[in-house]
Amino acid sequence: MGELYLESRQEFLRANQNPDGGWGYFPGKGSWLEPTTYAMLALHGTGSDPVLDRAWKLVRSWQRPDGSFRPSGEVNDGTWVTAHAVTLASVRGIDDASVRASVDWLLRVVGAEHNMWTRTGSFLHLIKARLDVSHEGWPWREGNATWIEPTAHTLVALKKIAGHYRGPEVEKRVRDGEQLVLSRRCTDGGWNYGTPNMLYFDLPSYPETTALALLGLDGVSDPAVSQGLDVARKFHAETKSSLGKAWLQIALRCHGKPVPTPAEGAYTSHDVMLASLELLGHPKGNYKLFQVGGRA
Amino acid sequence: MTRRKFALLTGAAIVGGYGGIKAQKLQKPPKLPDGPAGNSAVAVIRARSYSDDLASRMLEGIRQCGLDVRGKRVLLKPNLVEFDPATVINTNANVIAAAVEVFHQLGAAEVKIGEGPGHRRDTLDMADDARYRALIPKFESIFTDLNRDDVSSVKSFAGEEDFYFPNTVLGADLIVSLAKMKTHHWAGATLSMKNFFGVVPGSVYGWPKNKLHYYGIPESIVALNRQFGRKAFAIVDGVIGMEGNGPIQGTPKPAGVLVMGSDLVAVDSTCCRVMGIDPEKVSYLRMAADLGHVRSERIDQRGETIASVRTNFELTHDFKDLRLA
Repeated sequence: MGELYLESRQEFLRANQNPDGGWGYFPGKGSWLEPTTYAMLALHGTGSDPVLDRAWKLVRSWQRPDGSFRPSGEVNDGTWVTAHAVTLASVRGIDDASVRASVDWLLRVVGAEHNMWTRTGSFLHLIKARLDVSHEGWPWREGNATWIEPTAHTLVALKKIAGHYRGPEVEKRVRDGEQLVLSRRCTDGGWNYGTPNMLYFDLPSYPETTALALLGLDGVSDPAVSQGLDVARKFHAETKSSLGKAWLQIALRCHGKPVPTPAEGAYTSHDVMLASLELLGHPKGNYKLFQVGGRA
Repeated sequence: MTRRKFALLTGAAIVGGYGGIKAQKLQKPPKLPDGPAGNSAVAVIRARSYSDDLASRMLEGIRQCGLDVRGKRVLLKPNLVEFDPATVINTNANVIAAAVEVFHQLGAAEVKIGEGPGHRRDTLDMADDARYRALIPKFESIFTDLNRDDVSSVKSFAGEEDFYFPNTVLGADLIVSLAKMKTHHWAGATLSMKNFFGVVPGSVYGWPKNKLHYYGIPESIVALNRQFGRKAFAIVDGVIGMEGNGPIQGTPKPAGVLVMGSDLVAVDSTCCRVMGIDPEKVSYLRMAADLGHVRSERIDQRGETIASVRTNFELTHDFKDLRLA
């Protein structure tokens, strides 16, 4: 059951690996770290070791001297994808100085709103949104504000490597990041990109960001997580977004919640990231790689 | 740091594309700069419904503006924001389909469509939901998700030594901003110039593209138009626009027009007048007054007169003083 679903997506990924070892967002496009990460996780343990070794070699070539990772060979800046590289290192069982440099970078980066000016402004109601700015979280890029998706990816990465770091800093940032995610929950119980309220109007949550928030909250015991899982199940039944559905499959399975197996069928899209996430979220997929200590 | 500057830098940046900071508009200063030499042609063409012959109307307007697209690689940039086909958030699919037909008819070497939404990452399914795939022939083969396109750097943009833009955008000879006529609770109005936010790639700058918020919303609008305005044309979908708490949570407002021209500042200023907004009070238009014409006496109005199509769009409390006298 599910063989055509799995094989067609795996074949699509293998057929569209670039000569440099990475994957683009779409076939024929240049390699990027984000789709390469998801493809590597999806193919992990499927007898694709040479394929994955080439990909990992490319990923490592994108590390900057400060420990961060560039999102592609064309972009010089270190960004949120640094968390992906740390997750990949953890999955591959690598814990060396370069990985530690990346972790140090992640520990150093905070959302730019976490400063005295903004906290004072929030206290004085100068910001026209109900927003808790007391937690740090992570931005897409250094110097910008905190958002749910980069925070969730970083929480996944730091939780996976936490066992290798005895100091309190990883644990402290993880706990604070979890609190940030909880504080940014929308009134409908899910999460959007990170602004639950604006101009004092409540904003709705989205399927994909709800799923990512729940991945970041793996292991957290809080009523908000249970409510979020209910919202996630509703989204899964209703969303028109293939990407949202794929992330929801992963998140719900990681939280041990029942979720319908995707309908059998060959892959017809050209979206590399989607193929990878659909593979990861399948009952026989590697969704557990997003969990602490998760093994495929 | 002043209170206003503080609000701009923090609130705007934190709440992302939704905004919420009152200070984004300016009181009307005494006089605008003269702007570039010569006048700018802007066509206001009536189109009461999406079932009208939009291609003919568009062709009429483009010809009135004297645009020559022969042999050019044309990129159509719609405004695709949300999964919500029941509302008027997105540029209507019929408008885009008509533009594809018209630019082919006018001799463009190629016509592509590209968009990079600010919040949602599933661009293709969102396009499907907005009926782009259903109504635009060969949609999938001509569409590029600008958030996930390959990129190249441009020097000294938005305070960055290297800023990255999609290759599809950089390689186009003409970018047609197919914007939606909407009020915006942050910028006052979102039209053809603000629509350029969608050319900034999420794969580098995130969802939302927070770098632009930190640089400043009006500043970013102007910078993007300084970068791409010289190879741009605007067609604003005002058949049914959005009023009130736009650009997402507002309500439909039929204006029954397509507004077009090569001077995007002039097009957006004209749209503002159609919406009953004083463009001289909109901060990004004032800041862009060296790029194009805001003042009505420098705009050669073609097609309908403003008076014949003006319909006041409801403004949120914070923007009431933008109302055109």
